[in-house]
Amino acid sequence: MALDIKPTRSELINLKRRIKQTKNGYKLLKMKRDGLFHEFRTLLSDMIKAKRELTESYVLAKSRIDLANAIEGGLKVRSAAIANSASPEVEVERRNIMGVVVPSVSGTNLKQAFGERSIGFTGSSPYIDEAADSFGNLIERMVKAAEMEATLKRLLAEIEATKRRVNALEFKVIPELEEARVFIQLRLEEMEREETFRLKRFKNK
Amino acid sequence: MEIAVVGSPEFTLGFQLAGISTLYNPEGEEETSKVFRSLLTTKGVGIVVVDSAVLSALPERLRDRLSESVTPTVLGIGTEEDTTLRETIRKAIGVDLWK
Repeated sequence: MALDIKPTRSELINLKRRIKQTKNGYKLLKMKRDGLFHEFRTLLSDMIKAKRELTESYVLAKSRIDLANAIEGGLKVRSAAIANSASPEVEVERRNIMGVVVPSVSGTNLKQAFGERSIGFTGSSPYIDEAADSFGNLIERMVKAAEMEATLKRLLAEIEATKRRVNALEFKVIPELEEARVFIQLRLEEMEREETFRLKRFKNK
Repeated sequence: MEIAVVGSPEFTLGFQLAGISTLYNPEGEEETSKVFRSLLTTKGVGIVVVDSAVLSALPERLRDRLSESVTPTVLGIGTEEDTTLRETIRKAIGVDLWK
């Protein structure tokens, strides 16, 4: 570091104050990082489970719709799909985890019972119904997984930023300030010694 | 907000059966990229469901943008679990915590 600091007492006082402040901020940021990380770890295990369930429901739904396609014919399944006009809606709200704004997703009308599907008794068959049911389940799981995924992504971004800040303070900013403080202190001591020596010379004359 | 589904007609059919009406069946790489780009900027779409096979065939930069986006959240679904989130975790934290 280029030492372009004035070795004066007031500068030293300022520097000491700054070091104290920086260390305080560093401690706080470190706590924030640990807190975020803790939050992240607890959410992650849920997320892993949700993802696994999601894949399982997808596999099930896929096999059911394949079955429906094979037994009822693609055209019938397609016409049933077009007939169903219930549109699932999701609502995205904002939630706050340690200063990180994360979405909170809730769904309405994700799953319809047989009567609500507006397919009718004659237009449908158990296979189509089962397929529609399992896709309804899948959508429910999806909404949950989507919320968690978005939350985790935001948390990750925040953790990364905080980590960078903590490291920058620990390995760059604080050492540099300390170095400057040591420099001023040594320089002041040196100046003091010079002064006493000068006085002694003066007295001897 | 709506749920949008992107994929082959076979993939979107099941979701249509469950009542979702915002479906995209893009063909070819160019069209797929275009659909995703427009979805990223569309308001009113909360979740985008994608066949993970389609997702993994996208150019890397677009895939990164999709995985970073929060509204809409892009969710890859397939018979194999998609690993985009796992990758993001590994990149951000430095350790693979996905166990």
